[in-house]
Amino acid sequence: MDNLFYAMIFIIFLTGFWIMLRQSNLIKKIIGMNIMESAIFLFLVAMGYVKEGSAPIATEANPGLAYVNPLPSALVLTGIVVSVSVTAFALGLTVRLYKHYGTMDVDEITRMRSEEL
Amino acid sequence: MITAHIMPLTILLPLVGAYLILLVGSKHRSFARNFGLLTTGITFAMVCYITYLVSNQGKMAYYLGGWAPPLGIELRADPITAFLLLTFAGVSFFVLLFAYDILPGEINGKVITRYYALYLVLLGSLLGIVLSNDFFNIYVFLEISSIAAAALVAVNGDKLAMEASIKYLVMSTLGSGTVLMGIAGLYMVTGYLSLDFLAGALPQAYASHPLTVLMTLGMLTVGIAVKAALFPLHVWLPDAHGSAPTSSSAILSGLVVKVYIAVLLKLLYRVFPLDFLAALPLQGSLLVMATLGIFIGSIMAIRQRDIKKMLAYSTVAQIGYVFLGIGLFSEKAMLGAVYHVFSHAVMKSMLFLSAGLLIKYSGKRTIADLSGLGRVYPIPMIAFSVGALSMVGVPPLAGFMSKWYLGLGALEANQLLFLLVLLLSSLLNGFYYMPIVIGGFFKKETVEIRQEKIPLGAQISLLVLIAATFFFGLFSNIPISFLTPTVQGIFSAFGGGI
Repeated sequence: MDNLFYAMIFIIFLTGFWIMLRQSNLIKKIIGMNIMESAIFLFLVAMGYVKEGSAPIATEANPGLAYVNPLPSALVLTGIVVSVSVTAFALGLTVRLYKHYGTMDVDEITRMRSEEL
Repeated sequence: MITAHIMPLTILLPLVGAYLILLVGSKHRSFARNFGLLTTGITFAMVCYITYLVSNQGKMAYYLGGWAPPLGIELRADPITAFLLLTFAGVSFFVLLFAYDILPGEINGKVITRYYALYLVLLGSLLGIVLSNDFFNIYVFLEISSIAAAALVAVNGDKLAMEASIKYLVMSTLGSGTVLMGIAGLYMVTGYLSLDFLAGALPQAYASHPLTVLMTLGMLTVGIAVKAALFPLHVWLPDAHGSAPTSSSAILSGLVVKVYIAVLLKLLYRVFPLDFLAALPLQGSLLVMATLGIFIGSIMAIRQRDIKKMLAYSTVAQIGYVFLGIGLFSEKAMLGAVYHVFSHAVMKSMLFLSAGLLIKYSGKRTIADLSGLGRVYPIPMIAFSVGALSMVGVPPLAGFMSKWYLGLGALEANQLLFLLVLLLSSLLNGFYYMPIVIGGFFKKETVEIRQEKIPLGAQISLLVLIAATFFFGLFSNIPISFLTPTVQGIFSAFGGGI
């Protein structure tokens, strides 16, 4: 079962990767970017999981407590912040490009640009 | 007190400076450029001090918050990182000095404050990547640098630059996503993020999960190669570097592409033992990609009519040299690669800056229209020529020394084919650089040239870069002897060639 989880994560990762490379619509590219990053975050959270582990609050009352590894979750928080800011910036650029060209399709923009030259 | 905390302070200074610029600069226009230049200058001085300390002590380590790894984040400076830091801080200071009077004429007055803030954030993240010894910390700085770099391309708001910027952003997010996946994989099999602890735990992890370790290594290499524009993953580079403002192009081509190579170097010599790497197909693929990059980058550069595009394609070729040096796995070649990171940073920023000036005065970006400019504006044309000759690899210049060491490395690794690659590609470099140099001095002008005085800051900056190209060509023994012990240390465990 564990490996199934990782296999699914890998499929999600590749889906995002493929969308980013193959789609010409900028919004779809940005969505692909977020799908790819979600896969990485899932991966990090999954690897920190300990079966039947509790929250990592160790007290003197329960020294032998099995707890979920908190570090990957902390990394994910940082990663989400990074991903949100990249998304915001990319969307901002997309809005500006749409104002200039009236389209969000990269191929279309490239074509319009080559006609201008 | 300062000596003890110098490493984190060096990273913090530009970041805090960026914040102050945004805070104060929105009211006072000229504050940004004065304060930005000052901050970069102080950062450069601090980096010089770090280099001095490293040359005395050999190595410096700093635990953030006093927590020793594996719990805390460690900053580490050794001769290679000190050399890279010096390159990054020095070149970015002189680029900013150049931009002092040029930039206001080139970009919209409203965004100048933001430009300086972004520039400082980028500098801080570059220094952070080089200094950090913790993998996740490196990733965070990588992302800061890619956002700041993409923003520096788009800052002026013209549509070509914005299109290039979003392409750049998408590709570099793809790269850093792949790198993060690799980091997560390494953490899964070893349980560490600190580079030293990773190195210690890796042999055992490889014994139990060979496939996972190989996959993470592959992902890290591919991710870094996308961000460093190794052929065939370079597609975003020419547009981004070609359409950015002059000082952005200079720092993007000269420094930002190199910092990812610094990460790769760190990975190769601090984490993965060389005998481990030599057993993998990594070496062969790096060499093939590097060679293809060198040739195709040069050929594409020959075909360009726009001078900035040409310089950008030349960067693709030059990145090939660095990867070649890393991929040869020999002591001299590694020295050559590190030295080329430095010499290319100096040469390429000088080329972009002087090309920016020439474009400004002729009003044209095409190569044919630069004829005769050398007689009216000798300093930028001489700077361009020195940079061009150094790229080709003419003896007393810095570019020759890095190629010399790469060549020695190819001999040492017994790969004579790559000696031929070096010679042929130098010839190709000559093909696209020499016509500009000759035309610039000896042909008649084709366009009307504006008669203006070159600002003092730009003149000083170009003269210093010219001097550096000569100095580090003639006295290359100073940095080389500084770097050699560390590089020897990497290879001593490995036992010479392959």
